[in-house]
Amino acid sequence: MAYTLPLAAALTKARWKVKIRDKETREPPHVTIIRGTDAWRIDLRKKEFMDDSPDPSLVLGVLIDQIMAQKTWQQLCDAWDRMYPRNPLADLEDQD
Amino acid sequence: MTFKENQLTPSMILLVRRSKRVGAFTGLHPKVVTSLSDLQSSLAQASKDSMWVSYASELTDALVKNAASVPRKLGTGLFIHSLDIKSIPALSSLFRRIAFTVDGGFIREEELAEVLESDNRDNLFIGGFVNRTNRTITFWRGNLDSLTVAFSAFEKSGDETRPNFDDFSVIDSGQTVKLGSYEAAVDAILYEYDPDFRREVSKKRLQEERTFGAALRRLRKQRGLRREDFAPDVAAKTVARIEQGQVKRIQKATLAALAKHLAVEPEEIAGW
Repeated sequence: MAYTLPLAAALTKARWKVKIRDKETREPPHVTIIRGTDAWRIDLRKKEFMDDSPDPSLVLGVLIDQIMAQKTWQQLCDAWDRMYPRNPLADLEDQD
Repeated sequence: MTFKENQLTPSMILLVRRSKRVGAFTGLHPKVVTSLSDLQSSLAQASKDSMWVSYASELTDALVKNAASVPRKLGTGLFIHSLDIKSIPALSSLFRRIAFTVDGGFIREEELAEVLESDNRDNLFIGGFVNRTNRTITFWRGNLDSLTVAFSAFEKSGDETRPNFDDFSVIDSGQTVKLGSYEAAVDAILYEYDPDFRREVSKKRLQEERTFGAALRRLRKQRGLRREDFAPDVAAKTVARIEQGQVKRIQKATLAALAKHLAVEPEEIAGW
């Protein structure tokens, strides 16, 4: 089941969503911020935006702070690992 | 992820019974048609780049009757009402491209307007329909192109969530396909099933990620395969060495075996 991060009412009203869906481009593991027709992906391994467009600075600071907060971040990482057990965040393949 | 190509939004002609629907499309400055006389004047003024959007079946029928004498194509047509299958050939001959509903599977009008206005509309879905007989879903993109994908594209999630094809919708302003409680990212569907989209993504990747090894790894991950899954055709260690760029020349047989397991042609791997 898609993971949707619960957000404050003001953010939801402003149409912000944060999701990990059941079918995503799997590499690298990521979470998607959605607002209208725009989407921003954050790499769950590197903790940084994956794309230059749309401009990451358009994402509200308060939303980024919430995503990056330790507890929330862990929830997102756990959700990814649960949904994509064959491509977990702690993938050690590169070391073999 | 967006690809902006500075495309102009086409002029819109909106066929509606009630002007209540018009509000959502205000940003597209549509010419609103609610009567036969409006329709005739719009036909006279329409260009080959116009986009016709119809919520009114009787106005669509009138359009077919009245446009038969127009000696040019009418641009694109989007029909958001139940359509008699027999009118599809007539509409196809009138328009350069059409999209239509079979069972009401379009996004809500506010989101539809938003997608049609977007520079990135080619890579967003506005609706589609499920064909249980063929076990496929046909999606309509914001430029009214279609993309048909097999049910098998929607494999169960790691937490065992399975798609429910009886409960299909497009949400998140064209960015997500919802099948019951299962959701699929539209960019993931396009990445797998539209080679042009994949090429655009590849172009934007950093140089160091564009090696054959990196492409092989991405495709393997997308297929949910482990390196061990290529055995006995290719040893896991060999797969690892290729992915890490340690193999200068990959043997033809190895490449063919990799492609077979990944369900692509050998020459397609580098494009992932």
